[in-house]
Formats: sequence, C-alpha cells, structure tokens
Amino acid sequence: MTVTAPDTTATTAATVEFRGLRREFGPTVALDGLDLTVRPGELLALLGPSGCGKTTALRMLAGFEHPDSGEVLIDGEDVTRVPAHRRDAGMVFQSYSLFPHLDALDNVAFGLRMRKVRTSERRARAAELLELVGLADKGGRFPHQLSGGQQQRVALARALALRPRVLLLDEPLSALDAKVRLSLREEIRRLQQDLGITTLFVTHDQEEALSMADRVAVMHAGRLEQCAPPAELYGRPATAFVAEFVGTMSRIPGRLADGGVEVLGQRLPVDGPVPAGPDVDVLVRPEAVGVRTDGDGSARVVATSFLGAAVRVTVRLADGTEVKADLPAHEAGGLGAGTAVTVSLPERPVLVAARTP
Amino acid sequence: MTATAVRVDSAPAAAVKRRRRSLGWLAVVPLLAFTALAFGLPALAMLDGAFTAKDPATGATSYTTGNLTASLQGAYLTALLGSVKLSAVSAALGVLLGLPLAQAVVTSRFRALREAVLTASGVLANFGGVPLAFAFVATLGNAGVLTRHLGLADQGWDLYSFWGLVIVYLYFLIPLMVLTITPALEGLRTQWREAAQNNGATPVQYWRHVALPVLLPSLLGGLVLLFGSAFAAYATAAAMVGSSIPLVTLQIADAISGNVLVGQENVALALSLDMVLVAGLVMAVYLPLQRRSARWLA
Amino acid sequence: MARLTLWRWGVLGLAGLYFLVPLAASVVFTVDVPGQGVTFDAYTQIFSTDGFTSSLLLSLELAAATIAVVLLLMVPAMVALRLGAPRLRPVVEVVCSLPLVVPPIAFVAGIGTVLKWGPEHLSRTPLFQTFVAIQNPDFPFVLVLAYVVMALPFVYRALDAGLRAVDVRTLVEAARSCGAGWPQALVQAVLPNLRGALLNASFLTLALVLGEFTVAQLLGFQPFAVWIVNVSGSQAQLSVAVSVLSLLVTWVLLLALAGAGGRTRTASRG
Repeated sequence: MTVTAPDTTATTAATVEFRGLRREFGPTVALDGLDLTVRPGELLALLGPSGCGKTTALRMLAGFEHPDSGEVLIDGEDVTRVPAHRRDAGMVFQSYSLFPHLDALDNVAFGLRMRKVRTSERRARAAELLELVGLADKGGRFPHQLSGGQQQRVALARALALRPRVLLLDEPLSALDAKVRLSLREEIRRLQQDLGITTLFVTHDQEEALSMADRVAVMHAGRLEQCAPPAELYGRPATAFVAEFVGTMSRIPGRLADGGVEVLGQRLPVDGPVPAGPDVDVLVRPEAVGVRTDGDGSARVVATSFLGAAVRVTVRLADGTEVKADLPAHEAGGLGAGTAVTVSLPERPVLVAARTP
Repeated sequence: MTATAVRVDSAPAAAVKRRRRSLGWLAVVPLLAFTALAFGLPALAMLDGAFTAKDPATGATSYTTGNLTASLQGAYLTALLGSVKLSAVSAALGVLLGLPLAQAVVTSRFRALREAVLTASGVLANFGGVPLAFAFVATLGNAGVLTRHLGLADQGWDLYSFWGLVIVYLYFLIPLMVLTITPALEGLRTQWREAAQNNGATPVQYWRHVALPVLLPSLLGGLVLLFGSAFAAYATAAAMVGSSIPLVTLQIADAISGNVLVGQENVALALSLDMVLVAGLVMAVYLPLQRRSARWLA
Repeated sequence: MARLTLWRWGVLGLAGLYFLVPLAASVVFTVDVPGQGVTFDAYTQIFSTDGFTSSLLLSLELAAATIAVVLLLMVPAMVALRLGAPRLRPVVEVVCSLPLVVPPIAFVAGIGTVLKWGPEHLSRTPLFQTFVAIQNPDFPFVLVLAYVVMALPFVYRALDAGLRAVDVRTLVEAARSCGAGWPQALVQAVLPNLRGALLNASFLTLALVLGEFTVAQLLGFQPFAVWIVNVSGSQAQLSVAVSVLSLLVTWVLLLALAGAGGRTRTASRG
C-alpha cells in the first residue's frame, strides 16, 4: 500500500485532552475521574480489561456519550456539549458498521454527501481514499460482498473522508482472523504515521497496544493507571496492576528489611513505591528468572512449554508458589517435569507489591 | 496403502450418506402426499371449475373462458375493484401507522410491554376475525356504545361504510405490520446510527439516508403482505352483516352458498381464481423483498 | 432525550386508545343493556345457551386432531431436511407457503367442488363412503384436512425457527456415538430441544382452529366461531361477550406461552 495522498491530513495535528471525566451507569462507575492528554500526531492506545472505561472515554470524544462531570477538549477548545455529528473525529467501529445498502464507494462518500459536496467531487475523493486503503478495485462491492478485513479498511477510509482532526479506533481488529489482524494493524500504523493524524486506539489486546502505539494508557476501574511508551510500560510498570496486566508476571513472596527486600535467599534493592510490610510479593518477568538444575534444590519443575526461541518453564517453589521462567531453548534441555532446580533473580532493583492472599 | 485405507473408509461413509438421504425422502413424502391430496385436489378442482360451463338443460359440461369473463364484469368487477381499493387504502394506512408503533415498542426499555404488545399483535393479526367484528359492532355499530353516547349517528357516522371497514381492518393490519417490521427495526444496528452521526449526519439525515433505505424492502414487503391479508379477509366482513361495501370474498360466499342465481358456482370459482392470481402476485413481489432485507439485516 | 420519550409515549398512548377502546366498549355493551340497566346476564347465560358447549367442544376436538396431524407430518419432514435431504428444502418451503397464496375463501370454494363430486360421480364406488364419513357433522374430518393445510405456513415458520437454534446433525451424531439408535436419537435428543418450537406451533394451530370461520361456515358446520355469529342474531349481548372473552383468553394463553418459551430459552443458556 503506497500513500500518495498528503492532502488527506488535516492542516495540523490536534491535541486531545480529557479533564476529570466521570460517568456512572446506574450502580457501576464507568469513568472515575479520567485525566489524559493525547499529543499532536501520536497514536495513543487505551488498554485495559473489559469494563475499565476505555470505550466510554473514546465514545465521549466521538460525542456518543456525555460525561456526568469533566470535559473533553480538542486543541484547547471545549467540545463536551458539541453534538456527535459536528465533532471533528472520524471513528472506526468494532465491526458491521458499513451501511448495507450502499457500495464501498458510497459508504466512503457518505459524509461528503451529508455535507452536500457535489457528486463528481465526492466520488473522486472517495476513490482516492479507497486507493489509500488498498481497495481501489472494490468500490462497487456491497458490504456483504467484502471480507471482514476489507470491510474494516472501507470503514477506515470512511472515517478519514471528512479530514477529521482526530481518528478514533474502537477495537477495529477484534472481529478479524489472527492473520488479517496482524497485517491490518501494520497498515493502520503506517497510514497513521504518513497522515500524522492524532489517533486514539481502544484495545484489550496488550500485544496490539504495545506493537502499534507511541504511548499506551492502561486503564483500570475507570481510572488511568499509567500512560507511557511501550518499553517503559513493560520495563518500569508504575503499579502492580500494570505490571500484571502487561506481559507475564510472577509473584514471589518476600520480606522487607533495611530498605531492601529478602527473596529467594537474596537481598535486592526495591524499585518504585514501597508498600506497607513486612510481608510483600516481589514481581518478576519470566525472562529475568534464572533456573539451574540442582539436585539439592527445593524447587521442582512442574511443566515446560516450547515457545520457539525460548522455553517457558513453570517451577513450583518449596512454599507452593509457582514461578514462570523463559529460558533459551538450549539451556532448557534437561529440565523435564519433576527435575529439582534452584531459582535465582538478577542483582537488580525489583518491583514489590502488597501481599495478596 | 494409504489410498486403499481411504477407500475402505469412505465406502461405508457413502453408504451412510445414501441411507440418510433416502430416510430424508421417506420423511418428506407423507407431507407432500398430504398436501397433494388436501390442497392440490381442491386447487385443481377450482381451476377446472373456473373453466367449466354446465348446460342447465342437458347437464353436459364444456370448457369455456366465459366464467372468467363474467367474473370481470358487472357486479363481480365492482366487488373485485372494491376489495382492491379497500385493501390498498387500509394496507397503506396500516404501514404508516404500524411503523411508528413498532419503533416505539422496539426502543422501549420495558421488556414486559414489548412482550405484551408483540403477543397481542400475534393474536389480533392472525386470529381476530369474528370476535373483532363483534367488538366493533358493539363499539361503533348502529347500537354501539360510542355511537350512542357520542351521538355519532347524527353526524352521519356509519360503521358499515368504506371508512368504517377501513377502521375495522386496521385493527388487525396494524398488528400485522408491527409483527412484520419489528425484526427489521431490531436489525438496525446502533453502529449505523453512530457511524452516520460520526460522518456528520443529523438525526433527520440518518433516517432519510440510512434507516429508511435499509428498511425499504421490509416496508414494501409489509405493504404487500397487509394488502394480501386485507384482500383475503372474509370473516370480519361477513360477521358485520349488512356491510353495503361490495367485496369479492362476500360475492364468492354468496355464490357458493346459493344465495344468488343457481349455476353461479363456476363464476365463484373463477372469482376465486382471480383472487389467487392477485395473492400470487403479492407473494411474487413480497419474497424477493424479504430476501433482500434478510441479507441486509441478518 | 426527553423529547424522544415524549414522542414514544404519545404513540403508545394513541395505539392503546385505538386498541383498548373497542374492547372496553364491548364490555360496556354487554353489561349496560338499554332499558335494563347494568346486568351480567350475558355472561351468566353463556354456559346455558344452546350450542355453546357442543360447538366449543367440536372446535377443541378439531384443534387437537389438527395439531396431531400437522405435527406428525411436519416434524419428521423438517428434521429430515436438516439431516439428510437439504435439497428438498425449497420444495417443502414452497409447499408450506402455497396456502398463503390461496385465500381461505378460494380454498373452500375448491373443497366444496371436490365434495360435490361425491354424489355426482362416485355414488357407486367405495370412495363415496369416505366422502360421507369425512363430512360427518359430529366430527367433520374434512375440516381437519383444511385446517392442517392452513396451519402449514405457521407451523413451518415455528419449527424452522426452533431448528435453527439447535444443531440437529451434531445432536444426532452425539446421541448415536453414545450408542443410541436412530429413533432413540430423534426422540430423546432432538425432540426435547424442540419443546419450545413444538409448543409454539401447537399454540398457533390451536388459535387458528378456534378462530376459524370461513371454511367451517361455508361447508355448513358449526364450530365455535360459526356459533358466535349464528347466535348474534338473537342475542347480540351474548355474542359480544363470548367474542371478548375468547380474544382475551387467546391473548393470555399466548402470553403465558411466550413466558414459558422465554424461561426455557434462559434455562438452556444457563
């Protein structure tokens, strides 16, 4: 897919701000005071489990939901009270959002028709957008004649047709096959970077968020947990929730002592906030855990699964805790189930969290 | 080796498939035989009778198109046109009035209300007939409660007139419309409304450019279905004795029960054939529309 | 938002007025007789009126026979369409839609013609006895034949909807892999899952037969609906009272059925 339509971009990329957004649906709190700023031209992923409020936040920016309190700003201008059809935000829905009675070209041209743009002009523009998403030859097809991936491309072209200042993507890939999902996600990212359009992307798939976004905002129970670039989110999660939601994390019981933490017979410095002690859990990534065959070791291998370059080994410690470790395939050769092993951590500061029962 | 194994495997599978197919035929045959007897025979008899004339003097029969010609003349033609006019007017009104009611019911948050309205529609749309006629006679007939208490008779009200019948017919046509259009309204996805808004469409533009075009096949389908239902209605009209509106169903009934001249049975059969042709036309229009709307709204 | 709700209540209110006033007025009509004041005679007389019991019983018997025949014909055919003969599907669909193309009045005209063949052409053959037997006024089987045909479209739709919700093929294969024979698989695995659809089909047929007037009247029999009309000439109040009662009873029964259907649906999901 080549991008040859620089005029698709709005004049300048926009800044989006959420300020103290709050919304309750009956007894459930969907948004509990959300503050978040999206920088001009960046792709920000809103990541979280279902019901964390990420979709509600996106729909508020589109104008489909209204906050009980708080405001939404685009380029510093309060749009909270602007009706949905006058917001400057193109949206791609989860699925099945194409109008069934219009062909692909007319779907893309729909917004221009609402603006009373002349027929020839809007058809030319729609054709240009279809070319942009690689469907130049599918303009005459109706939605039921297109595959799921093609439908979402048309939806993307439609969302861009009015040259919006913000692009909103509401889990646009979740209804697609794994393979289509991968290729379309690369295309969306490339298109977004070429157009330089400020984009909000809602997803519950952490891999999707980490691989596509400039920054990822992790949400939990209507609040923002952390907003950071993917590498920072993974390497230095700000809270225990982020640590466990993004990537795999094992909890190993430890004990706070002298400003450090005692764990697995080692004494390690603590990274980040220190919870009330003294009993805590130390959070470790599988690739940071060392596993060594040791006839005297008190830990036992429970299971191994082959992941390609690495082998994920699940080890049960003497106290019953299970720890996951990723080892290079050649190191994991002798580690069958039942092997006695010793588990160790690198001499680096570790994250600790309050002990969970 | 592998090839033989496959063949060995597939042979019994094919046999099972064959047996299954023959079992399937066996299960369908009684149904087909029954319909051929109970439906096909009367239908053929009607067809045959519509083209048969019997000489009253000799009793000899001969084939003729005279019955059909007679059924399209004079009082019979008036009745046929009367039925078409009544059905067309009440079907159109039924569509116009049923759509907002269905929309109100579909968008309602009260499940119990929806359930009650849809069930009531099921009763009234299919099984109203006689009870319905009597309810209206009791309400708006010459001695009806409203007629007496509101003094409607002095203002020229007559239930047994064209518009009186339209009001009665709407009592089962509106529910039929609600039943027909409800699945289509439920098939309208919220994403379409939101996508339209997102593309700058006002609510009016959404209805004009998205909802109505998507509903159009269902609406037209509803229109022809209502027309067919009104056209075939007999019980209601017959129970409201004294109807001065000429209707084809009443004419057929009169002819076969011998209330008019003897020997009119064959004309009654020809009139029946006329009705079947109209109803067939209705179905021929309805089915393709139904198929298209099912594809869009599935 | 408030404007939307107002619009909705307006529509529902007007519809309620149009649909409830005739019912209410009918009730008033039956109890407030001019010259007699308020009286409940119309309702107390129902059971003692000549013909009420016999015509209602006749209608119920006809309904039972119709339901039995239509289900015996349709259930095996519909299940077979799913299992082994999908190519017959359009045939069955068309056969079951044909009655919609032939209005009842035209249908009865045809039946009347066929019945007249009996005395005219067949009086010396054993078939004649059959013709007489199916027109026995105590139990006119010819009406069952006609009603089965008229019920086909409704039953087809009800069963089709029910079958769509279950994967018959997998059910049968699962039952057979557990050692059940064909008949066992059908009776013990498929039919229980079609309970809702069978109930629905039976009920639609019941309501159809109870309310049917055209065919019965023109063939000269007197089941319930025909009786109401015949009695209206002499006892207007009574016929209206019976009409209103029968409408309400049908509605309540259908509502109960919808409730039962809804419960079974949630039960099977949980």
